[in-house]
Amino acid sequence: MEQNRSNWYILTGLILGLVIGLVYAWVISPVEEVDTHPHLLREDYQDIYRALIARAYQANNNLPRAEARLELIDDEEPALVLAAQAQRFLAEGGDVEMAKVLANLSAALQSAASSAATPSLSSSAGNTPSSGNETPQVTPTPEANTAQPNQNTPTPGEEGPSAPTSTPTESPPFILQDSSPICDPTLGESLIQVIATNSNGEGVPGVALEISLGPDLTEVFYTGLKPEVGLGYADFLAEPGLAYTLEVPESGLVIQDIEVPTCTSESGNSYWGGWEVYITHPN
Amino acid sequence: MSRWTIFFLVILLGLGLGLVYGWMINPVSFQDTTFNSLRIDYKTDYTLMVAEVYHQEKDLEWALNRLTLLDDPTPLASVEDALRFASQADYTLPDMFLLRDLHNAIEGAN
Repeated sequence: MEQNRSNWYILTGLILGLVIGLVYAWVISPVEEVDTHPHLLREDYQDIYRALIARAYQANNNLPRAEARLELIDDEEPALVLAAQAQRFLAEGGDVEMAKVLANLSAALQSAASSAATPSLSSSAGNTPSSGNETPQVTPTPEANTAQPNQNTPTPGEEGPSAPTSTPTESPPFILQDSSPICDPTLGESLIQVIATNSNGEGVPGVALEISLGPDLTEVFYTGLKPEVGLGYADFLAEPGLAYTLEVPESGLVIQDIEVPTCTSESGNSYWGGWEVYITHPN
Repeated sequence: MSRWTIFFLVILLGLGLGLVYGWMINPVSFQDTTFNSLRIDYKTDYTLMVAEVYHQEKDLEWALNRLTLLDDPTPLASVEDALRFASQADYTLPDMFLLRDLHNAIEGAN
């Protein structure tokens, strides 16, 4: 009996010490967070980091470098995440130009991915630190995770590669190809869908579109914010029964009286349809 | 040895084991960190991005605002740290120029 009492107080002391030690190590004085990685940043800081990458890309037009930087955040689909961030930014009433910058990088990544002539990252990713989980040739480093000279970075006096990213809207104006109501029960929503293409039939991202219900009710949206649907695709959730006016400001193109139709399904049920607008460059 | 002595010794042993486990074996996982905790090469690249944008747009207020997020004593200190690391890590001359350009702009504004 006496021996049992001795064992219990030893165990009690050990557990007490363990609990105090763990509380101190995990709560009171946890290991200091130093030398961390961008993918461990808080979500809002990751948004800032992505926005900064997009702005830097806008400034230097160096896509491989932007790609290498985005890899550090470890997004599975950087282009989609950028597009989603641009949409979220617009929805929250953020700066339209910033959303466009994000969308431009997203579109550039999509274009690069779909192109067979994607440049090698090692050629110009340059001084971007390596994430540790990428292949060595992405950003070879003289020392672990440090930098390496970048031959493709513009020299201070050379403005060529540093010129602002050209936007598709700097191309010839768009003309209307088709504008018509559609009945598609699979859509699920009454969408005004815009598809902007160039003369080769390729989607054109970054086209500013204005939709309005009058002079005081105007909303701006852009093609390319849903790259998973198409680079030249944009949509707007329409309210049935209202007549919208769609404008492509930089082309002076105005499409009036856009009103989602009432459709009837095969089973005889009625539902709200959508509207499709196709615009294209004439040459 | 008295029972009380053994009791306190065992508490100390538990405390030591708890600290070893909590600090070394299973430390608090690094989630939701801030820019300040980034490794120096990532911080330098962050500063370089700010410098790239500044070089193009010449918006010093915006650049200072972004550098403040690094939570260093001053934005100038952030750029100086970046310059120091960039120099050690053999960054290219154009990148060094961009960092110096930003450094000079901040210094000139102070």
